[in-house]
Amino acid sequence: MAPRVVITGVGVIDGHTSGVVSQFLDQSEARRLSRVCQFTVAAARLALADASLDPQGGMALLIGTEFGDMVSTIAFVDGYLRRGPVGLSALLFPHTVMNTMAAATAIAVSAKDLSLTLNAPTVAGELAIARAFAAVRAGRIRACLAGGADEPPPFVVNILREAGAGADVRGEGAGFVVLESLDSARARGAGVLGEIVGAAWRALPARPHGIGRSAASRAIAAALADAGADSAEIGRVYTSANGDGPREAWERAILDRALAPHRPPKRSLSLPTGRHSGLAARTVATAASEAGDRLALVHSVARGGNQVAIVVAGPGSASRGRPTDEASSSAVQDPPRRPEERALA
Amino acid sequence: MKPVAVTGLGVVSPFGAGVKAYWEGISGGVCAIRPITLIDTEGFRCRIAAEVPDGIAGSARRTRADRLALAAAREALDDAGVVRGERAEAALIVGAVGGGMLEAEAWYWRRARGVLEPMPRTLASSFPSAHADVIGSVLGLGGPRETVVTACSSGAVSLALAADLVADGVAPLAVAGGVDALTRICFMGFNALKLLDSAPCRPFDRDRRGMSIGEGAAFVVLEDAGRARAREARVYAELAGYGMTSDAFHVTSPHPDGEGMARAMRAALRQAGVTPASVGYANAHGTATPQNDRIEARAIRDVFGEGRLLVSSTKSMIGHTMAAAGTLEAVATVLALVNEVIPPTAQLETPDPEIPFDCVPRVAREAAVELAVSNSFGFGGQNVTLLFRRAA
Amino acid sequence: MEPKEVFDELKTILVTRLKFDPRRAVDLTLETTLPKDLEGSIGLDSLDFIELSIALEERFGIVMDDSADLAPHFMSFDTLSRYVASRTAGA
Repeated sequence: MAPRVVITGVGVIDGHTSGVVSQFLDQSEARRLSRVCQFTVAAARLALADASLDPQGGMALLIGTEFGDMVSTIAFVDGYLRRGPVGLSALLFPHTVMNTMAAATAIAVSAKDLSLTLNAPTVAGELAIARAFAAVRAGRIRACLAGGADEPPPFVVNILREAGAGADVRGEGAGFVVLESLDSARARGAGVLGEIVGAAWRALPARPHGIGRSAASRAIAAALADAGADSAEIGRVYTSANGDGPREAWERAILDRALAPHRPPKRSLSLPTGRHSGLAARTVATAASEAGDRLALVHSVARGGNQVAIVVAGPGSASRGRPTDEASSSAVQDPPRRPEERALA
Repeated sequence: MKPVAVTGLGVVSPFGAGVKAYWEGISGGVCAIRPITLIDTEGFRCRIAAEVPDGIAGSARRTRADRLALAAAREALDDAGVVRGERAEAALIVGAVGGGMLEAEAWYWRRARGVLEPMPRTLASSFPSAHADVIGSVLGLGGPRETVVTACSSGAVSLALAADLVADGVAPLAVAGGVDALTRICFMGFNALKLLDSAPCRPFDRDRRGMSIGEGAAFVVLEDAGRARAREARVYAELAGYGMTSDAFHVTSPHPDGEGMARAMRAALRQAGVTPASVGYANAHGTATPQNDRIEARAIRDVFGEGRLLVSSTKSMIGHTMAAAGTLEAVATVLALVNEVIPPTAQLETPDPEIPFDCVPRVAREAAVELAVSNSFGFGGQNVTLLFRRAA
Repeated sequence: MEPKEVFDELKTILVTRLKFDPRRAVDLTLETTLPKDLEGSIGLDSLDFIELSIALEERFGIVMDDSADLAPHFMSFDTLSRYVASRTAGA
């Protein structure tokens, strides 16, 4: 049977918490890391500490990003435009490629397994977590940091808005969840924050930067089928609503149609901080902590049609048989159900 | 891994549009690295690259990279005989780095020089993810869609990710590939790092002095092997295994022992369930920097042993095409299996004694090979090996 | 230019281009070593050395020939200051 995939740690750095970045970096390390790389490394270390996990080489890394290190990219270009070829910085050049946060983080936490950077507008973090879930469940990786990071330059955000590519409210930061197989978590006696029980990602018909005309979608149904769950079991929905009116309306229509006749309450964690790709980690962890004995759906859809659905269960779902004292506390809860049992429920 | 069939190929290369032109070029040992025309090179030591020649189809309202990508993806789907109705389930995985930066740079450069003009539409398509949204929308691909950025190995990672989706039954088929147009950032950056040769690059040569950059796009159709058989599709090869590892060592330098590279090659062998001795050809990353070629050769030797294995670098002919490189070289590897011809390493005059392999200097070699690997390595220590098996 | 003046310029480059904390630059002496594998050095790696060589080209108008072995000159502030002073003297 495919391994169950549990969340054993979460770390998020954003506007509210960036003061802690320096605590997670030493000085010589920080010198060479751009600001977004610093966020990312700090969030990764925070998540690993939360999970009490030492990578010891066998750790994968999946980072979603919308903007990469665009701030450094602009600085690199400006160096040339102001001073010619001698104004080009060799130190900045690697930051012009979007995998720079992954490279910095892999080095900082010694993650030597698979390392992926996924780029997508507004759904990149969710996409990375969904991909990571699939990789753990398929047995391709044992444990991973999955999430995202962004530092959107206001200049670029304005360009996107003016070009009709979305008026989203942007934030900056980085965030990860630690995902691992339930067996791996049990073997090392790790606390379980929740479980991802299904995920799917698909593309909806839409023009680039555009909103689709139809509310029909497949990712939600596919994620529920993956989880062996029914839409009636979804107690809460976490959306990607973010101040882009047409996209929000589209997402509401998609959710209402996919979950009909049920209308679980929806909310978005983007609104207080602005959306950044690291927020997906906070959303998934929050969904797990608030799921109770039901399931939560983390959903996001981007202009252009990229759609991600992640079905999350609370810690009770995975706690049966846990080797620690939490096992006794779980006895008073509803017995957790395996995905296939859920389908019968 | 459940083997996945390669049933379609599409290429836009410095030899022009089409797989045929590409194979004629690389099997003929032709070097397409020439003086740069797309961007200003004044004041830089290296002023050459492998550009895609004029005449790429597509609307001028799209970025150059989008046009390259669309042409290659369309050729791959047509080649596989995948009709419109089947495309709604197809996954699309694109490896990309520069996105639509060439056009964004042009606007930014003029702006910096005080030329005020309306913002071009293409600015919204500056990011790597733009290609996937264009290809997916135009070609009607409705399955999982991902854009992966692992620097110079992006075009190989895309095939591995697509193979996962097909092997797991998430999508019956996938279009996967890589694209990059030349950009100022890339050209200037490699110049700043002093990694570029002022003459066409010479991989594995004792006197190699660095890389040449290039541009292009390549896509393949990957398909469930049973499905391919059922619809009697032409199968070029099977993607039998892959390995993806991270050095976790340095942002630009590979691990000096090639440890991460060797791990990727071994993982591919293990996944395919084959022995090192059964592999006959390695399409190397082979950038022609002193460091890469020495370390890569060491890693290949550690995995496959000295001698025997044929090793060649396609970059000697089309330069380093960045995110397209991994896919262009995967296509070269597949075609080498199909045609029983190993493309050469052009410009290789004086073999480096530190590289203990037959690097197929200048002239293609006839050789029937059952299994071949394609290596791609990227900044940040992102190592990928793809392993292909000739179709039965 | 005298080696002492070059040294002062190098300290500036360290802060402006190599992003060292200005307080770190104050502690440096001519004997401080540069490459990261040397005990007590300021910890420069290959990429830092490329950045440093570009900065030297810009500041002193010299061309660093990448085919020559420059490593011995990049051992310490002392060796580097004297090398740059000798190159600018010839110009």
